[in-house]
Amino acid sequence: MSTALLSVDNVSKHFLGLRAVDGVSLSVQQGEIVSIIGPNGAGKTTLFNLLTGQLSPTAGEVFFKGQRINQLPPHDRARLGMGRTFQISKPLIALTALENVMIGAFMRHHDMQEACDRAIDVLERVGLMYLARRRAGDLTLSERRRLEVARALALEPEIVLLDEVMAGLNQSEVGQAIDLLKGLHAEGHTFLIIEHNLKVVRAFSERVVVLDRGRWIGEGSAEEILTSPDVIKAYLGEGHMGSQGKQAQGEAV
Amino acid sequence: MSNIDTNNSPVIESGQSAWIKYFGGMALASLPLALFVDDPNWLNIIAFTYLMGGLASSWNIIGGFGGQHSLGHGVFFGIGAYMTAGLFVNYGWTPWLSMLIAAVTAAAVSALISWPTFRLRGPFFAIATLAFNEVAFVMANHFDSVTGGPRGIMIPFKAGVENMIFKERWQYALLMFGFVAIVVAFSVWLRRSRLGYYLLAVREDEDSARASGIHVLSVKLQGMAISAAFTAIGGALFAMYLRFIDPPTIFNLQDIGVKFFLLSLIGGVGTVAGPLLGAALIVPFENILRVEFADALPGFNLAVLGFLMVLAALFMKRGVVGAIQDLIQRRRNKREPS
Repeated sequence: MSTALLSVDNVSKHFLGLRAVDGVSLSVQQGEIVSIIGPNGAGKTTLFNLLTGQLSPTAGEVFFKGQRINQLPPHDRARLGMGRTFQISKPLIALTALENVMIGAFMRHHDMQEACDRAIDVLERVGLMYLARRRAGDLTLSERRRLEVARALALEPEIVLLDEVMAGLNQSEVGQAIDLLKGLHAEGHTFLIIEHNLKVVRAFSERVVVLDRGRWIGEGSAEEILTSPDVIKAYLGEGHMGSQGKQAQGEAV
Repeated sequence: MSNIDTNNSPVIESGQSAWIKYFGGMALASLPLALFVDDPNWLNIIAFTYLMGGLASSWNIIGGFGGQHSLGHGVFFGIGAYMTAGLFVNYGWTPWLSMLIAAVTAAAVSALISWPTFRLRGPFFAIATLAFNEVAFVMANHFDSVTGGPRGIMIPFKAGVENMIFKERWQYALLMFGFVAIVVAFSVWLRRSRLGYYLLAVREDEDSARASGIHVLSVKLQGMAISAAFTAIGGALFAMYLRFIDPPTIFNLQDIGVKFFLLSLIGGVGTVAGPLLGAALIVPFENILRVEFADALPGFNLAVLGFLMVLAALFMKRGVVGAIQDLIQRRRNKREPS
């Protein structure tokens, strides 16, 4: 019914009395990069969990590839073509980087050798091949984040959902990560990104959706959004109206 | 230097090298049997070491690779022992066939009792499985028309390969060696298979496993069924070797149900060689202690075992094999700095 790759229609999630997500609608088309931003407690992570299947909505609909997936468990969403990363990266620390990626590759390639070849391709693509034999537990934060992206890509997904992949990275690492995502986007990958860091959002998002206190409060290009008075107010509170979005970068890390 | 190293050596251990290690290890493991072939006392200890090594390796499939620390494997062990003994004594069925039937039965029972318990995580799962062991103990005592109740089942001595009853101790030891060789071979294969990797993924993080398209419950049930089947075969061999089984022997926690976990823990949970190594270190040692201190200090063997457990938990969290792997990894990291 919807032509979008991934969409939510008027979706809500209530925890007891709290409306963590309240009537949000948004959609992602094939080939897009869409970001969801919002201050702490805006409902970004809850919305993310509704999309990935960790939670199911109290009301509203979630569609993926035209299929209603409200109740579909996470592993079936992965099979359908949804890759994701975790905000707190969860590599299999006892296994090597290569084996971590292979576990993702096994979903589409049951044969060991095929999965291994596929994992090597992905590691090369994200620039981690030189660490293939290193145990994931020994990687730095930045390398682990990259490994998370590799694990998601190994599923050969149609959309990749990134949950604050830049959090905790330093300036140059953020730059490298942005380059990686831009490159992957140029190759045709579709991304939905939850991001706190406005610099990242500005760097490559085609479309930005803003949430505040569980509600959709705006949507548009990165420039439009970052200069919108409503967004600045939500992010920085009253009194920052003149400073526009620029200072927001520092605030957001 | 580091580049050449990475390009020339395989990024993942090849199947060939894993199997070479396997045959090397098994040749080493068979040495005691060859050396003590004329010594019945030692042959008894060796046979038990192989059997316990095979049982710990069976447990390790779900407990180690899958990270589901079952304390209820005595149930599957009991199914193997009782079905094989019962079918032999009452109907004259050959144990070679009955143990396979018992293996399938244990796999089915494991699915039944795991379905609800796999919803529990960590220690809660372990305690729930412990309860099943006690239930089985009570049932074995109660249904005496099948199990002989507290009197147990005595298997008459009718020597013959078809009866799995042998005149010589070394024949039993060889049988037990065959069992451990098969279970460890399966572990070598599993460790390098899709299901094996999926079990590891489930052990490390279930949410992350799901995100990789893994049906967590299904993977756990498969691992448990395989583990239960091998455990039942071990139970069958135990029954045919002792030729007497009763509930306190079969459902004994410190010697059976929890022992599989313990041996794996000391050797290295979740590694292929760990459970066998644990059995090789502990079973003979414990037997000697048991014999030496039987009169003066009964239970001393358990005290020593407990102390070793504490040491292992403090200083070798991944067991003997884990400690060795850490050493190798550290040396490799030094050789190719990133």
